[in-house]
Amino acid sequence: MGDELDSMLDMYLYENGQLLEQLEMTTLEKKDEDSFDEEDINLFFRVMHTIKGSSGIMMFDDIMKLSHKLEDVFFYIRESHPDNVPHLELVEKILAVSDFLREEFENIKDGGEPTKSSAGLIKDIDKFLGKLKNEILEEDKELPEAPKDEGPTQFYIGAAGGEHFKYYHIIAYYRNDTQMSNIHAYALANSLKEITEEMYYSPEDIITNEASGDVILEQGFKILIKTNLELEDVKAALGGFDVESTDVSQCSKDEFEAGFDVPAPIVGSDTIDLGEGDKEVKEEKKEEAEVKPGDYVIESKSAGKKATLAKNKKPKAPATSYISVNVNKIDQLMDLIGEIVIAESVVLQNPDLNVPGLNLTNFNKSAAQLTKFVSEMQDVIMSMRMMTLTNTFQKMNRIVFDTSRKVGKDIEFKMIGENTEVDKNIIEHISDPLMHMIRNSIDHGIEEKADRKAAGKPEKGVITLEAKNEGGKVLISVSDDGGGMNPEKLFAKAKKNGIVPRDKTISDYTNKEIYQFITSPGFSTKEKVTELSGRGVGMDVVMQNIQSVGGMLEIDSEFGKGSTMTLKIPLTLAIISGILLKVGEQKFVIETGSVKEFINVRGSSIIKEPDGEEYLNVRGQYYSVVRLSEKYHIKNSAKNIEDGIMILTENESQKLCIFVDKLLGGQEIVVKPIPEYIKKVEGLSGCTQLGDGSIALILDIGTLATQ
Amino acid sequence: MAEEKLEAALDEKEESLSETGVHQFMTFKSGSECYGIELKYVNEIMGIQPITEIPEVEDYIKGLINLRGKIVPVIDVRIRFKQAPFEYNDRTCIIIVDVKNTVIGLIVETIADVVTIKDEDIEPPPALSSGKLKNKYVYGLGKTGDSVKLLLDPEKLIKDEDLQVLDEVVDEEG
Repeated sequence: MGDELDSMLDMYLYENGQLLEQLEMTTLEKKDEDSFDEEDINLFFRVMHTIKGSSGIMMFDDIMKLSHKLEDVFFYIRESHPDNVPHLELVEKILAVSDFLREEFENIKDGGEPTKSSAGLIKDIDKFLGKLKNEILEEDKELPEAPKDEGPTQFYIGAAGGEHFKYYHIIAYYRNDTQMSNIHAYALANSLKEITEEMYYSPEDIITNEASGDVILEQGFKILIKTNLELEDVKAALGGFDVESTDVSQCSKDEFEAGFDVPAPIVGSDTIDLGEGDKEVKEEKKEEAEVKPGDYVIESKSAGKKATLAKNKKPKAPATSYISVNVNKIDQLMDLIGEIVIAESVVLQNPDLNVPGLNLTNFNKSAAQLTKFVSEMQDVIMSMRMMTLTNTFQKMNRIVFDTSRKVGKDIEFKMIGENTEVDKNIIEHISDPLMHMIRNSIDHGIEEKADRKAAGKPEKGVITLEAKNEGGKVLISVSDDGGGMNPEKLFAKAKKNGIVPRDKTISDYTNKEIYQFITSPGFSTKEKVTELSGRGVGMDVVMQNIQSVGGMLEIDSEFGKGSTMTLKIPLTLAIISGILLKVGEQKFVIETGSVKEFINVRGSSIIKEPDGEEYLNVRGQYYSVVRLSEKYHIKNSAKNIEDGIMILTENESQKLCIFVDKLLGGQEIVVKPIPEYIKKVEGLSGCTQLGDGSIALILDIGTLATQ
Repeated sequence: MAEEKLEAALDEKEESLSETGVHQFMTFKSGSECYGIELKYVNEIMGIQPITEIPEVEDYIKGLINLRGKIVPVIDVRIRFKQAPFEYNDRTCIIIVDVKNTVIGLIVETIADVVTIKDEDIEPPPALSSGKLKNKYVYGLGKTGDSVKLLLDPEKLIKDEDLQVLDEVVDEEG
């Protein structure tokens, strides 16, 4: 496959993937309402149209046919406003199509060809469309024609389809003293674009070439349009825009196609920067209410119909502009800033600077400035990697929709804090765990309808997905108002499965500890294994995934009232501030956040148990001690407790003293994973490269303490 | 001198791959034997570097090195072969290999040469010795002139036998 085709394919997959996401998101947002509003229908129509067009180019026939079929449905809904659209059925159809497309896109991404036939789905949708139309026919309404398939190469979507196009030749004249007539002309063209299928104008370089204004003043602004509007409507649409007079005449298709000398096709896009002219256009548009794109369809096609089909319309958030960047580049940037941070410390702490008597005033000033910029840059680059959880949450919404229907439970899904930002890498790792957790909640958590009724709860179960920031961590919780967990039952099961030693009884454990059993491999109390869960794989996978990004899972439950599972994950993995320390020749790093105190210990405050375990007395409190040199068998390290230093650390309210040889200082460090080749070592979470090129290992207090 | 030749060979390895039936091997000495590893796996050769040890891992994993910002684990081939460890000196080399996207450094006593061996000159190791532990890394005996090189399977070399067993178990279950 050639590079060019590859990049075309990439683009195809990327763009359509995004469109599909948009489609799915809107669908899910509105799934609980009575119908889609007009904006949504227009959006669906556009999405399907674009997918159809680009799939045509890429010769993915089945995808093209399917998207065409769904486009038909939306076209019909948009044009005829059938009253009784079975909303849920429509949602299902949309999701089915989007699933199909997504799967095919995945196939294509993996280097394959789209293999599945969409014939079945098309038939389904055909039936659905037939049903819609019948309902309308009974009501004696006129049926608009399905849009003519304009062929796959055409991306521009006019505001209306329809078979009988008329062609008009328009010349707009401006008063001779009109300033910036080219901008006025553009505004005119722009507004016409909304109501035409195809359009050309002359001169074509009205935006880029100011001289074109003179040509317009002299000869008029010539426009050729293809539309299904009547002559009067076109004339009406030309009103305003400071046009002095217009000359509109209908012409034949051939004339239209012949165009001007150099016809310029307009591709539907609003991205051309109008500069000042933009404001004018907007102002004029306000006056010219009838040419606004949204209203047009309603007013001209179905006068008297209410414009909004859905009950509530959310105000649109102001659009921020984005560019999509290859993730590899961001990662590269990330690595580079890491290297710069390291290089910075190499320069600023260079031993050459330690010459006595050297005047470093200016150097220090510049150095301070450099430090400031580097840290600012670091912040910006870090924030580039941060993404909101919106997409992940939407995905969950979908899962709730599917799963709840599959198990026949009525569930209300609440999402809170979906704008919380998390490092992209982490997002990738929590999607699967969240999915498992939510499925678990639906399948195991929420009771059957009858049981709920018996327990005096509303039939509709509630699952809440909530995300929030808390102290450098992100907490994501899934809670349900279902049956909750029964600690006794869990304990019995755990004992049966050998997770708990035989000689322990339930009183040896707190409820929270018992809940944690469900994360053990092979644990499932659900008697019945369902398609969704119950095989006992799941929660342990969840656990693994979360731990791989340095996260934790907390489970809380109240029997009869519901359960809450909370994921605690770090905001970012990439750069942390750490304290560098040394044991023997080995260097380690501890995250600054978990260090409470450094203590120079006198031998008398250490208490030693016969089995070798040590405790340190700090102001009357006792903490267990880990000697890194002993734990990791490091040679040539301080043995005497007074030769080294004790670090008091705290992690999740668990306090631990770590004994090391000496501290080397605080430093921003770039976290790198220990190569996968090396099996996971207890107590180590990664490694980092230091200023002198050597490597230090990053201590993970959490797992260090578990021993 | 041998190094220059190696560099050249590394540069050309792409082209040499196109010839069929002929394989290029990088050979190195470990103990008294001469081993060969197919050139397509070799990324580069470097002198011995400062190594950061990792606690609680297999004895042959010597630790991590910093390869221009990339952190690469290194293993000691002698210890991997259950031979006596040796002192690292300035003739000690690290061969950086890339086996199925796993980049690993092999510490060897000294590198020898790049040799070209034809398919027909490669024989499987004699069946008699197949029970011996050491031979599982050696997939063939390559004849060049009057000497014999033990040709290594780098995948088996870097993979831990215990891990492998584990993998298989997982595979069966999955």
